[in-house]
Amino acid sequence: MQKSYRVIKNILITVAIICVCFALCLIIQKFFKTGELIPAVFVLGTFITSVITDGYTYGIISAILSVWAVNFAFTFPFFKVNFTIPENLVSAVILIIITLMTCTLTAKLKKQEAIKAESEKERMRANLLRAISHDLRTPLTTIYGSSSALIESKNSFTDKQQTKMLESICQDAQWLSRMVENLLSITRLDSGNVNIIKTPTALDELIDSVLLKFNKRYPDTEVTINIPDDFVIIPMDAVLIEQVLINILENAVEHAEGMTKLSLTVLIKSEKAIFKVQDNGCGISPDRIKNLFTGCYANGTLISDKTKNNAGIGLSVCATIIKAHGGEIKAENVKGGGALFCFTLDMEDSEDEQ
Amino acid sequence: MSNKYKILVIEDEKNINNLVSALMEANGYKALSAKTAADGKIIYDTHRPDLIILDLGLPDTDGMCLLREIRKNSFTPIIVLSARTEEAEKVKALDLGANDYVTKPFGSAELVARVRTVLRSTRHSSDNGLLPGGKFKSDGLVIDYDARRVFIDEAEIKLTQTEYNIIALLSEHSGKVLTYSFIIKAIWGYNDLGSTKRLQVNMANIRKKFGAKPGKKNYIVNELGVGYRMCEQNDRGNEND
Repeated sequence: MQKSYRVIKNILITVAIICVCFALCLIIQKFFKTGELIPAVFVLGTFITSVITDGYTYGIISAILSVWAVNFAFTFPFFKVNFTIPENLVSAVILIIITLMTCTLTAKLKKQEAIKAESEKERMRANLLRAISHDLRTPLTTIYGSSSALIESKNSFTDKQQTKMLESICQDAQWLSRMVENLLSITRLDSGNVNIIKTPTALDELIDSVLLKFNKRYPDTEVTINIPDDFVIIPMDAVLIEQVLINILENAVEHAEGMTKLSLTVLIKSEKAIFKVQDNGCGISPDRIKNLFTGCYANGTLISDKTKNNAGIGLSVCATIIKAHGGEIKAENVKGGGALFCFTLDMEDSEDEQ
Repeated sequence: MSNKYKILVIEDEKNINNLVSALMEANGYKALSAKTAADGKIIYDTHRPDLIILDLGLPDTDGMCLLREIRKNSFTPIIVLSARTEEAEKVKALDLGANDYVTKPFGSAELVARVRTVLRSTRHSSDNGLLPGGKFKSDGLVIDYDARRVFIDEAEIKLTQTEYNIIALLSEHSGKVLTYSFIIKAIWGYNDLGSTKRLQVNMANIRKKFGAKPGKKNYIVNELGVGYRMCEQNDRGNEND
């Protein structure tokens, strides 16, 4: 589908340029009464064709057509093809050589661009890996350090200390497992060839599940819920959207300093479900808001800091998941202080209905 | 204590196997462990354990195959260990006859609770799943099977026929997650395109009638993408008697 579309596009470009050249030459011939400009016009046409089309084929076709056109219409004998005149033959050969060289050059250029993009992607991937490895090291240090200390010299710690160490092992292991969950989602979706499978999900079941998990992790944080009273079904990968909501809520708890209110609102508006998570904390600093969802992806800087947050990864997971659902996600600061995260999902299952 | 429950742990990861076995021992069960499906089958045949904890990713054969094989001629309860990202896998395991699943990584309390529940429910409902006494009681929820009536804190909840059937079904398998397709088949007898939606609508109505609040402890737990689980029976409903 994509391929035949491209072929048609290339053919159209080639033909259009030749036609324009031909028309231009007719005009030139009429007004300037000279044939000297004509080969130059066709050389230009062929050059443009070979730059904007894919591969060599169209450039060469254009060159042959140009040679034919020049020979046929604009050189003596007019409106007759005649290659017996040596200068016509030479000009044809020159035109074809120019075309070949242009095509080779542009092909090389395009290839180089692809390599550059690939290496850029590779670089970002490496950056992500570095950031993650860095982030993983902190909890691993706690887990490894505490557990080995307990094995080697359990008796030199008081009961209280032991419990504390075990608690920190448990906490950090939980953090690690959440991190891994996020990474799995990113790699699963980022590879591009996995289509998410949307199943009709009851909104209140989703919210219920999100809140249960969130409350387990943060029992002290109250989330105000506003969802439509009607029974609402939204097509989605429920587990992934659950992860998005938990990540956003968690982000608020971890980063919105001074937060006292956290609310989750869902609105249904013109075939779209709008999810809003709002807090009244410190808001998002302006220099971060731009790259919030791209995390370390965008500018290649490391997102990790020493406070063991996986905000960068957590939020870019959100963006990846929402994008895969064909929705939009954005974050902004609210006037009275605090941040608002908002994403949309389509209510109608798009063409991939069973 | 010679009549401890025997629990067979089939898991190839040495550390997880050790952990689960130790957990079982610590909670008064006798643990048997196997690292491959083949070993598991042998131990299962020779020792006839009371419950099996089965990892799905085994080195020799797929855990799913072993599950199917065991289910061919026995109802020995099976709890499946699975990774979070495999919703479809969980549903498949449950539909193949697994009694429950626990997601890796799991907390010790969670696993022990599931084991306890599964053991209890299979002991109670060895006949046809109906609970003794004709009543289900849990934290103020009372289901009277004979009268087909449901009460919460002594106030009767008016349910439609279908809604009652769903509640009764869930309560008969309380503590266990029932997949959407299992419930649909049991209630309507057939499964078509609109069935899931019909079930979801009925569940939404039940929740509304039960006064369930999202995120609070409710009688019915949503297992997203898998099914529903009714909280376990306890005696606290008894106080009203």
